[in-house]
This record gives sequence, structure tokens and C-alpha cells, in this order.
Amino acid sequence: VEPGCFLQGHLPRSSVLLASDGLSLELNGLLNGRSGGDLVPPYSALIPLLEISRSAVYRKRALYKRNKIATTPAAKETVEFKTKTVAGEKNGGTRKVPLQKAPRFYPTEDCKVPLKNRKTVKQTKLRSSITPGTVVILLAGAHRGKRAICLKQLPSGLLLVTGPYKINGVPLRRVDQAYVIATSTKVELPALPAIGDEIFKRKGKPTKNEKEMFVDSAGDSGYKISAEKIALQKEVDAAVVPAVKAVDMLQSYLRSRFTLTKGQYPHEMQF
Amino acid sequence: AISLARIGSSGINAEYGEVGRLCYIRLGDNAGKTCVIVDLVDQKRLLVDGPHCGLARQVIRLKNLAITDLKVKIARGCKTNVVRAAVTKEDIANKFLQTSLSKKAESKKAKAALGDFDRFKLRVAKTAHNRKIRSAVRKLKKSS
Repeated sequence: VEPGCFLQGHLPRSSVLLASDGLSLELNGLLNGRSGGDLVPPYSALIPLLEISRSAVYRKRALYKRNKIATTPAAKETVEFKTKTVAGEKNGGTRKVPLQKAPRFYPTEDCKVPLKNRKTVKQTKLRSSITPGTVVILLAGAHRGKRAICLKQLPSGLLLVTGPYKINGVPLRRVDQAYVIATSTKVELPALPAIGDEIFKRKGKPTKNEKEMFVDSAGDSGYKISAEKIALQKEVDAAVVPAVKAVDMLQSYLRSRFTLTKGQYPHEMQF
Repeated sequence: AISLARIGSSGINAEYGEVGRLCYIRLGDNAGKTCVIVDLVDQKRLLVDGPHCGLARQVIRLKNLAITDLKVKIARGCKTNVVRAAVTKEDIANKFLQTSLSKKAESKKAKAALGDFDRFKLRVAKTAHNRKIRSAVRKLKKSS
């Protein structure tokens, strides 16, 4: 058995204990002069090295013979009350007031308290191939196969993508990076208006309290694009379309759709 | 006696697996490199050496090779440094780059490295090119 194999562990220092008993010399010999400080294994691991049994180790260490250090800490002086002077003749002059008031309300049952969640939500890590201005192939949804321009990564982690709408009908849309192939083509994007996740949030269905008893479903005409969105789309297109037109053939490229033909295998293709 | 392994004699260019012949490696780990035949093992295997492109001396199967019509003058079984000297003397590496085989291999490599946009541009160019040809042919047919 090689001493080295046990020293692979990630065990805490027990050098204090080591120095105080007679096994330290043997151990030193095993460690071959290396400082065993951070890598000292427990004695159970050393037993096969030292070739003595657990009870022999116990006898050798003889901790039962040693002076036990009193480890009880001194009792803290807790100040629980504060004396306050009270006005009025018959009120006794002073009163002891507890520093920490007893709670006014106690729940009828002791409920379990959930464990503290120390997880922090991090933004999704974006693939290095996707940067603002990358031409991206959409793989799913109504616009599958279309090539669009990735504008940025939103705080929710999704990509903000646009055709531009004028060129191929892909509006300002949120897309997950998993449903996208990033090409190596990049467009120089000018400064764009600030866009967040809020515009994309759809209004939820009305709750029971808000709704009337009988809802007229015929009146519900479905989802309508807000005027704000249309205006924003126009603004973004006005910025991005000239950047697209500046590159030769890029507009017709964005208008075309991605397809696979015979002999084309995505894992063998460069994008 | 050296037995010559004859590979696909087309009548005009009968290329032989003979000592000194330059071969292009089509398949395997060393694909894309060229090598010189140093000796023949049997009907299917050759001992090759490619000091000019960092290829170690090794036995390779005929099916992994494409025989070229370039040849180097060396003796059977000669050492690597002799092969190297002969290759540099006749500048065989550069001569190989002029061959159509080398050019085809280069274009295949370039095609595989095309990005999505490049592939689109290629497709557009090809369509335009073919359209021109077809319209010219149609005109000729009409006039005849």
C-alpha cells in the first residue's frame, strides 16, 4: 500500500492531535518529510499503513489519560429587563420592562418552517456564437426556417429577435437560444431603443372576482398586437434595415428560408 | 523481382503502384497528405513515406490511396532521408499542387467550410449561371 494514495484525500488538518501523540514520528516517516498538514487522513485510514488495529491506536493515543480541557464557555450575562421610571404616586416608581416584548400572536399549530433558499437566479448563459447582430436560423414556431437577426439577450434569458419585420415578417420576438442555430454572419447594429420583457408579457385571464357571472365569449376577439408594439417595431426596423441593406445580398438571404437538401447533414455543416 | 500492383489502367494513363510513385491519401487519419511508395508489401498494401508532409513511414492499404502520375527516382526500400532528398530535388510537393486531384481536394475542403450565408450566395450564383446557360441553349435551339 502506497502512502501516497491516502494523501489524495481532502481531509481537514488534525496536526494538533498529531503532534501530541507518539504516532507522529511514525507518520512523519510515512509522509517522507512532506508536510502532512492539510492532507492528514483519519486514523482509520492510517491503520493499514501503520499496521496496528483500531484498539491499539486507542491505547497508544491514550486520550482517556490526558487532562481534559474544560470546554464549557462562560455563561453570558443576558440583560433581560430594563428598569423604567413610572410617573404617578401609587404606581411604584419603577417598573421592570422586558427588552424583548413577548409576541402578541401565537399560531394555534406549530407549522414547519421551510428551509431557507439561498439560490440566486442567474441569467441564462448565452452561447458564445450568439452576439447582438448575429443572423440566426429559427428552428421552431410559426417562423421556422426563417433567418432573423438577434438583437440582444433579455433579462429573462431569452433572445430578442427580429426579421426585421419589413424584410421577412419576423416581428420583435422572444426566442430561446435552444431553438436557434447561430450562423457566423454578423450585422453591425446601430443603437436600438431599450426593450425589456415587459412588452411581451400577455395580460392574464381575468380572475373570478373581476369577471362577470356570464362572460360573453363572442366578444373576446383574441390577441391583438398593441399599438405600442407596432410603433416599437417600426422604430427598430428603421434602425436595423439600413444596416442589413449595407451588406451585399444580406436582404435576400434574410428573405430566404433554411432547408436541408439531399446530402446535407447539419452535424457536418458549418453555419 | 518487384511485382507491380496495377491500379485501374485506363489505357491512356496506366498508373502503377511502383516504387517512387507519389500517392495522395484519401482516407484515414492522414487523409489529405501525399506520400511516396517505398516498397510493396503485397497486392493490397504498400510501404509509404512522406517526409515532406510529416507523414511517418508506414504500411498503408491501396484502397486508402489515390495514385498520381508523379514519380520520384528512388531505390526500393531506401531510407527516409533519401526519400526526403529526392522529393525536395524534384520539388514534387509543388508539382502535386498543380494537379487536378489536388485542386479538387482543395475545392472540396473549401466547400465543406462554407457558412450558411456563403452557401446561400453560392446557390444564387449557381442558379444565375445555369439560367444563363439554359437561355443560351434555348436560343440556339430556336434558331436552328
